[in-house]
Amino acid sequence: MMTAPTPPSVAWLLHLNALVGGMFLLTSFGLVAIRQVQGCVRLYVLQSVLLAASALLLGALLQTWHLYAVGVLDVVSKAVLIPLLLRRSLHDEIHMRREITQVFNIPTALLLALALAITAFFLSGPMLAEAPHDPAAGVNLPIGLAGLFLGGLTAVARREAVPLLLGLLSMESAAFFAGMALAPELPLMAEVSVAFDVLVLVFVVGVLTRAVHERTGTTAVGAMTTLREGPSV
Amino acid sequence: MGRTLLFNLLQVAVVLVFAPLAAGVLARLKEMVQSKRGPSVFQPYRDLRKLFHKDEVVSDQTSWIFRFAPYLVFVTPLLVTLLIPVLTDYPLFFAFMGDMLGGGFILALGGFFATLAAVDTGNPFGPVGASRTRMVGFLAEPVFMIVFFTVSFVAGSTIPYIVQQTWVTPLANFFAPSHVLLLLAFLMLILAEGGRIPVDNPTGHFELAMIDESKTLEYSGRGMALMKWGGHMKLFVLMCIYLNVLVAPWGLAHERTLAAVLIAIPLILFKILCFLLVLVVIESSLAKLRLFRITEFLGAAFVGAVVAMISRLFAF
Amino acid sequence: MNLLVIPAIPLLAALLSAVAPGRRGAPAVTLAGAAATLALAVWAAARVAAEGPLISIAGWVEIDGLSALVLLVVAFVAAMAALFSWGYLAAHDYAPRRVRRYGLHFNLFVFALVLVPVLAEPALVWMAVEFTAVFSVLLVGFDDTPEALEAAWKYIALMFMGAAIALLGIFVLFWAQAAAGGGHYSWAALREIAPQLPPGLVVAAFLFILVGFGTKAGLVPMHTWLPDAHSQAPSPVCALLSGVKTVTVLYTILRLVPLLPAEDLGGWMQAIGLVSVGTAAFLLLQVRDYKRLFAYSTVEHMGIIVVAVGFGTQLGAYGAMLQIVSHAVTKSLCFFAAGSALLLVGTREIASVRGLLRTSPLVGTSLLFGALAIGGAPPMAVFLSEFAIIRAGLARGAYLTTALLVGFIAVAFAGILLHVNRMVFGAPPAAETTAPPHALPFTCALTLVLGAIPVLVLGVYQPVPLHALMTQAAAALAPVVVP
Repeated sequence: MMTAPTPPSVAWLLHLNALVGGMFLLTSFGLVAIRQVQGCVRLYVLQSVLLAASALLLGALLQTWHLYAVGVLDVVSKAVLIPLLLRRSLHDEIHMRREITQVFNIPTALLLALALAITAFFLSGPMLAEAPHDPAAGVNLPIGLAGLFLGGLTAVARREAVPLLLGLLSMESAAFFAGMALAPELPLMAEVSVAFDVLVLVFVVGVLTRAVHERTGTTAVGAMTTLREGPSV
Repeated sequence: MGRTLLFNLLQVAVVLVFAPLAAGVLARLKEMVQSKRGPSVFQPYRDLRKLFHKDEVVSDQTSWIFRFAPYLVFVTPLLVTLLIPVLTDYPLFFAFMGDMLGGGFILALGGFFATLAAVDTGNPFGPVGASRTRMVGFLAEPVFMIVFFTVSFVAGSTIPYIVQQTWVTPLANFFAPSHVLLLLAFLMLILAEGGRIPVDNPTGHFELAMIDESKTLEYSGRGMALMKWGGHMKLFVLMCIYLNVLVAPWGLAHERTLAAVLIAIPLILFKILCFLLVLVVIESSLAKLRLFRITEFLGAAFVGAVVAMISRLFAF
Repeated sequence: MNLLVIPAIPLLAALLSAVAPGRRGAPAVTLAGAAATLALAVWAAARVAAEGPLISIAGWVEIDGLSALVLLVVAFVAAMAALFSWGYLAAHDYAPRRVRRYGLHFNLFVFALVLVPVLAEPALVWMAVEFTAVFSVLLVGFDDTPEALEAAWKYIALMFMGAAIALLGIFVLFWAQAAAGGGHYSWAALREIAPQLPPGLVVAAFLFILVGFGTKAGLVPMHTWLPDAHSQAPSPVCALLSGVKTVTVLYTILRLVPLLPAEDLGGWMQAIGLVSVGTAAFLLLQVRDYKRLFAYSTVEHMGIIVVAVGFGTQLGAYGAMLQIVSHAVTKSLCFFAAGSALLLVGTREIASVRGLLRTSPLVGTSLLFGALAIGGAPPMAVFLSEFAIIRAGLARGAYLTTALLVGFIAVAFAGILLHVNRMVFGAPPAAETTAPPHALPFTCALTLVLGAIPVLVLGVYQPVPLHALMTQAAAALAPVVVP
């Protein structure tokens, strides 16, 4: 497949990147299935660390210092600041919750996740065929797209506020995971602003969830369905 | 040709002799982790010898299945040993007699008869455990199939020796996402099929919670010895498949000399020891799952295996 | 003058509102900031209409016809909303702290809205669109009732999902540009190398951005958050959300249209637009809340814009531009009228409101006027734009689409009038049961009158600079013709 022999360091970087990608996909599946809120937060932190690891590996591979900066920024904002913000803006007892009922039960959710992952891999094929051959993109794009869909599934299937939010954040992480391989030269300012935006989002959502909790006594935001057409309750 | 036959029989002997040792080491390590002293690593041998000298008590409500099952449980892992790489990385005499699917079915045959025997006695706890074992087995089947399919697709063959030569030999494959996911899925499978925590408690004596242990409830004497030995060998065989085909296919005899094969024996035992350490860590840090959570556990394994398969099929 | 001054003004106003004293400090700062922004936006739009694209930092901050049009519309509605907010906050008599919070969020929202057309680099535009979502969430939940909070949650969840999908689209677009030879990542540069972009990747990027930003713009089937958010938010914020935020997001989708490969994707766009129009038209027949009524009407109009762009001709694009302008001014008037009605009557339920014309002639008339206008009755602005779109469709030969469009518009018109008639005519309910909670403040009344003027004027006459601007904007949607 390769026309020129790759130097061993490049090959090793690609191997490690593939490994990081596999584990990233696993964390996306885990977010769909794990019941405990604390577990979800830890899984998200792990996912962010893996994202940073991939950024550093791709940075070494493609020789762009942009990606090194992205990796560092990522660790600081997502792995450190977001859990801190979540802890600050929500009551402690929210973190001790477990999600007893979800919209689908876990095996069904996992099977749906599987179908979505297969779809993502299917869709990546034609896209990768159009661009010049790039082994890093061949790993990052399908996994990023799958992570995007799985994050969406998490946001739809979960009822509790924190796992729902983490599902949304993991969608954005997955989009970034794919984007790092597709657009490594994207100006750094864009990536800094994305990180800032995510932080503001988490802060805002934390405030909102606290308000919901104080108003309605529950954080099962996915179960709020009073606004609709038809006879008012 | 005679040499490969000899090596094949040597493999069987290794499994036969060292399986109880593996079980003994695992029990000792678990106790050590809990800051206890634990039994001697040779205790399973003593147990087996004791049981062989004892009388058998057989219920007169049972049929021939009850008498026949221990022999089957004892022999099926040995048959599977003929097919898998334990000491050598080149195919041996009986290697083409059956492939991985065949091996899986042979192991399932032993489990099936053990379940039947548990139901045969009429003791209420037997069928309880038997039905649970069947549930775990039925959920684990798809995972087995998908794992075998994935590795066979890459290797172009379902014979374990050939898969072993092609699966991880190019180093790129070792780090591929499919490999990592497959390792995880198969590990969860070993935990389920071997009756370890988090699926089942192998040291529990509470009959209402037993899954795998229930198959030895009614046995005594020689029947019990054969069932126990067969159980140890099944775990040993599963570990051999895992380590030699998937995880670390290195350290196996490459030349066709007796010396190389004999050197391979301590190497495989060392690999098994490393795996036992991992197993001990897993067992000591997790709690046993509630029964209906086992479906989630095995569902996760299934999903992991399928994702491994598709990331391999769609390798870009 | 650097274009970055235009978004800097609302940002400054936001910081000042956060510390402005008393109950009137923050609204005053907001109004001043919005007025200044409007003045600068008008100046910039006039410059672009006369001389073509205005560039401050090449490749990063530049506006052409399309972005100038959107900027103008945003600034106008923001100024109107700031004026209405003055009276709205006074009528509710909130504590100073809450007033300051409103001012801060309102100005930050306007800042983000103004930022979107001014920036020219797609990744930064994505960031600005995200900011519009993030800064408006707390405004949607401002009332602090469980329903408002539920609406805010649904809003932010769907907004962010759309944003993540669109982010991937932006990355794929960059990838496509890199595959075609690179160059600076900006709308103008992309448009120039459009023929060399790999078609599969462009279509993939377009689909991601369509789904992602379509969620934010309210295209069916991702519109479920829209009726909730646009009805629970305070009325001036609703005017901004419905009138300009959806349009701003649609603007980003429209920027991709000239990049699409030559195959007839217009048919697909018409289909997508028609689905939105039809669904909204039928859904608004059975609403019970008059703010939700107008929210569904927004979905309908977004669909009409997409259909117009889908026709693929200069006439269709011009119709879409006219629709953007007319919808913005008309929908904001509708929400101001609805907000005034809410102030007077205290309930959002259509069934509880009767005889608004007798209760307050100004509010009743403006509500009726707004409903007629948004439904598409002559001689108001929306009629002219919808007429232009229908003409474009007939000229294009898309008879089925045009027929369906006319049918759906008629259904929506009937639905809106049905509900509003019930509210406006008849005898008011007995005085003991419904005492008006607030009297209508002067600034709200002023906004209603001022807001009606463009709706009438644009229905019969378009000022020449505006016409020039809209023509330029329509031209921005066509692929660059290689000479």
